[in-house]
Amino acid sequence: MKIVVIGGTGLIGSKVVAHLRQWGHQVIAASPNTGVNTITGEGLAEAMKDTDVVVDLANSPSFEDKAVMEFFQTAGHNLLAAEINAGVKHHVALSIVGTDEMQNIGYMRAKLVQEDLIKKSGVPYTIVRSTQFMEFLGGIAGEATRDNEVHLSAVQFQPIAANDVAMFVAKAVVEKPLNGIMEIAGPERFKMYEIVERYLKAINDPRPVIPNGASRYFGGDINDGSLVPAGKASLGELNFEKWIASQLVKA
Amino acid sequence: MKKENDQETELLVPSKTALEQERKILLALGTDIARVREKTDLITLFSKRIRSFFYFTHTIVTLIESKDETYTPFLLDHEHSPIFGHNRYGEMVAAHFSLNEPFIQAVLQADGPISFLLEDIMDKPQSPAFLRVNYERGVREILMTTLRNEEKPVGFIHIYTDREDGFSDEFRSIIKGITPQLASAVANIIKNEEILNKEKEKSFLLDFSRDISAVRTKEDLAFAVNTGLSKLNALRGYVIRKINEDGESLSTYIYDPGIANFDDPEWVALTTARFPLNDGLQSRVLESYIPLLFSVEREVQRGITSSYLHYWKKVGYKTMVGIRLHYGITNLGILWLGIEEINIQLLQGICFQISVAMANIMANEQVEKTQQEQAFLLDFSNDIAQLKTKADLETAIFKVLGNALHSKLSMIRLIADDGVTMPAYMFDNTLFVKAGITFDQMANSVITIDEPYTAQVLASQDGVVFNIEEELKGGSAYAKLWETTGLKNVYALPLRAGNKVLGTIWLHSDWLSQLVLRGICAQISVAIANIQANEKLLAYKKQLEVENDYLKEQIKTIYNFSEIVGTGEAMQEVYRLMSIVAPTNSTVLVLGETGTGKELIARALHNASPRKDKLMVKVNCAALPTNLIESELFGHERGAFTGALDRRIGKFELANHSTLFLDEIGELPLEAQSKLLRVIQERELERLGGKQTIKVDVRLIAATNRNLEEEVKAGRFRADLYFRLNVFPVNLPPLRDRQEDIEPLIHFFVDKFSKNTGRKIRKVSPKVIQQLRSYSWPGNVRELEHLIERSVLLSTDGVLQDVFIPKQTATDKQDLSFILNRTLEEVERGYIVEVLKRCAGKISGPGGAAELLDVPGNTLHSKMKKLGITKAEYFA
Repeated sequence: MKIVVIGGTGLIGSKVVAHLRQWGHQVIAASPNTGVNTITGEGLAEAMKDTDVVVDLANSPSFEDKAVMEFFQTAGHNLLAAEINAGVKHHVALSIVGTDEMQNIGYMRAKLVQEDLIKKSGVPYTIVRSTQFMEFLGGIAGEATRDNEVHLSAVQFQPIAANDVAMFVAKAVVEKPLNGIMEIAGPERFKMYEIVERYLKAINDPRPVIPNGASRYFGGDINDGSLVPAGKASLGELNFEKWIASQLVKA
Repeated sequence: MKKENDQETELLVPSKTALEQERKILLALGTDIARVREKTDLITLFSKRIRSFFYFTHTIVTLIESKDETYTPFLLDHEHSPIFGHNRYGEMVAAHFSLNEPFIQAVLQADGPISFLLEDIMDKPQSPAFLRVNYERGVREILMTTLRNEEKPVGFIHIYTDREDGFSDEFRSIIKGITPQLASAVANIIKNEEILNKEKEKSFLLDFSRDISAVRTKEDLAFAVNTGLSKLNALRGYVIRKINEDGESLSTYIYDPGIANFDDPEWVALTTARFPLNDGLQSRVLESYIPLLFSVEREVQRGITSSYLHYWKKVGYKTMVGIRLHYGITNLGILWLGIEEINIQLLQGICFQISVAMANIMANEQVEKTQQEQAFLLDFSNDIAQLKTKADLETAIFKVLGNALHSKLSMIRLIADDGVTMPAYMFDNTLFVKAGITFDQMANSVITIDEPYTAQVLASQDGVVFNIEEELKGGSAYAKLWETTGLKNVYALPLRAGNKVLGTIWLHSDWLSQLVLRGICAQISVAIANIQANEKLLAYKKQLEVENDYLKEQIKTIYNFSEIVGTGEAMQEVYRLMSIVAPTNSTVLVLGETGTGKELIARALHNASPRKDKLMVKVNCAALPTNLIESELFGHERGAFTGALDRRIGKFELANHSTLFLDEIGELPLEAQSKLLRVIQERELERLGGKQTIKVDVRLIAATNRNLEEEVKAGRFRADLYFRLNVFPVNLPPLRDRQEDIEPLIHFFVDKFSKNTGRKIRKVSPKVIQQLRSYSWPGNVRELEHLIERSVLLSTDGVLQDVFIPKQTATDKQDLSFILNRTLEEVERGYIVEVLKRCAGKISGPGGAAELLDVPGNTLHSKMKKLGITKAEYFA
């Protein structure tokens, strides 16, 4: 199959591309760097030529509410239009668990718009909603640091390793379109502050983690269970221990 | 087997000359490469330089494409390539070879040039095809070197040889030495190409922009677009489609003259067709922010039926690029390009320019159109302003709707006087023929102002547009009828004149401009209001005419012969004369004392004449100031004299084809007499101050109580005028000569005034009759009439007992004393003379003095002889 991975040079994208190539598919790792731009449309029609599956893993360069919305709207609109014209048979996109529940957060609104564009486009699709990646833990800690203390919420948190995400996405690509949503998550569920505390300990970061009892994520109030799958979800293989071990080896 | 150079080169100790040679080659190559700007130069220089020291068949450069991990030919040496004629050559040149196979991975892993015997590797399952293709053309060994840019592999140098002895270590060493330079040369070439392309794009857009900025009309734009687009590579054709005014369809705006084919009816049809916007293709372009590449075949398979798509397929277009043309957020149309690839920057640039030009042209056209519409409305206004009747209006409306607006009038309904019902006023009886609705059915359908559609229209300010398709969805019965016209919309507007709502107008059309629509409806409203006013005016006029006829009839019954009371001999003579002269056109001169009824006679003459249908015009010559008489008779133009503020029609003109009664003609000033004479002679006149001669056909009746012959003698009346007037004199006898008529006259007037005053006078006492008969009646019939009127008013019971004959005046008393002092002979003489005078000198016979005096004629003769009465005495 010819597969175009939008955002194919990113964290998840590069891994997905690698898997698919390994499985013998002709894969185009599309990104503005490789001459495919979903915002300007540059190289899009060319990349779509004879393509069977498109995987959209692109993320907005800015997280400001308006910019995010504009990015996902424009990119989704352009990409799907090009797919329809090229007769693409399957569109796989990565989204976020709880997107529809957290509509008070601008980023989530944009992701839902993206999902809706896909649903009504007419292109057969699979939306993979994932929990947060374990790779974000450092960033979450950094974001929550005040006066060298990490203040974090106690909401439920079930992070998944990027490698697992990539595998799920790659598998979804070669499967038949679900024309629906599948949810993926890590194998273990924590309170948010817990897992960050463990992470910091593991990397010997001295900052103390202080649970603040608030239920907040990405600057918005959320429910305790918003970030974890409500129903059945596919769980990743790497638990925190294994993941942190692999991270430490790399470092 | 592959062999890597490092082991061997390390084993060999290169000779000094070899090193020197290598240094020279590297230096020369370095200079060459630094000069390289063009793609082909590199391979040519490289081949030429190296070839002078070493043997090889050919060399190429391939580049890595990171996005799909492949490498593809970049620089080729067609001249030396042995596979140039191979049937797979084209395929090889365009191919992308995977990086994920052992052969190329071995190259990537090698630290420097690495050679392979083709025989060993070409048939391995994942090996790239070009190895075998080269082998088939005699190539035996390949030397591969990875080109790196900042340690990252970016491409390869392939060097091929057909010799068994392959590549020397010296050669490998040199290649290794120049690889970094080659890599940077390739990078330069790529950058240079990019820059050149950008430059080309920019200069193209600059040129295009310059051409476009001069565009004023659609024709200019077509020319500029053609000039610009013809510079695009591999463009097979283009068309610009514009969104039509209905906002629902697109039509060809500008087409590529290069693909025009007027002999092909299908192509011609495409240039004039209206393609629905939502045909599944155009809508996608218009909704897309970016140019879209369409596969014609795929869209056909998708089930899109648009004729242009099938035409593209027919003429062999495989792919088309569609780009929306928009200005701000307003979509203007689509640029379709018959092209295989999309250069986003360039296309966006082109489309932006075209859009701006189109928007400007459309704005211009809009202005022009508005002007035309206004001119059109003005014309229509002029047409309408001259209308007087409904038929005229109907003609004007049908003309303007059909010719200029491609619309049909369905119906004009006007609110009836009851304010509720709305009968049909005007409609096109051909409009619903297809639906089987006939003229009569339409005319008979009466609706009220509460009918839902009508109510909606009457309530609206500027009318309502009903889209028939939409209305059909609502299941409206009217819509089904409307549908049969084949037109898309119904425009319904209220007709208003001032504050008054007159009714509604219903038009069928595909599209109508609001300006024109409103303008026309305003005009039609005014026209209808005018016509209605005119119709009312005509009705009033008709009524007045009828009334006038009636009044004339009345007048006739009042003033006719029968009005003239009296059957006495004197009057019989008058009647005889009248009946002779009345039917002719002869001028009549009515003579008689004051109050003898000259005007009555004149009217009777008129009423007995063929001119009786028109009113007789009367001028009292005595009642007019001298200076106004002429203007009264002949009229004047505006400004003819001080105070002549308006044009005035004279009485002569007024009496055209009728009778002019000149009363008191004897009082007419001499100056006017001459003018009157002229008019009578010439039968034409000029208004005072006027230059125009007006012919008149007037019958004259003149009357006077003067003795005109004496007036002529005295020089107060023109003789010639007298002769002109005295064509047919009618003498009216004084009342004192009509003793026998006095009684009928008394009864006539008593009746008349009884009726007028409401007093019932049953009887006139004989005493009164006796009194009246013995009076001398200097005021004649008029005096009698007034006397009776007065007496009727003063009478207290049903019997007229008293009359109030004027008391004897002083002169009368004088007369009496004069009589009393005379002798019988004197009295007898005087009396006989007086009677003779009254009898106009007639002595015997009927009406003679003898009869009056009741003596035989001979007796009177002898008495006159005896008393010496001469003719001169009683003919005075």
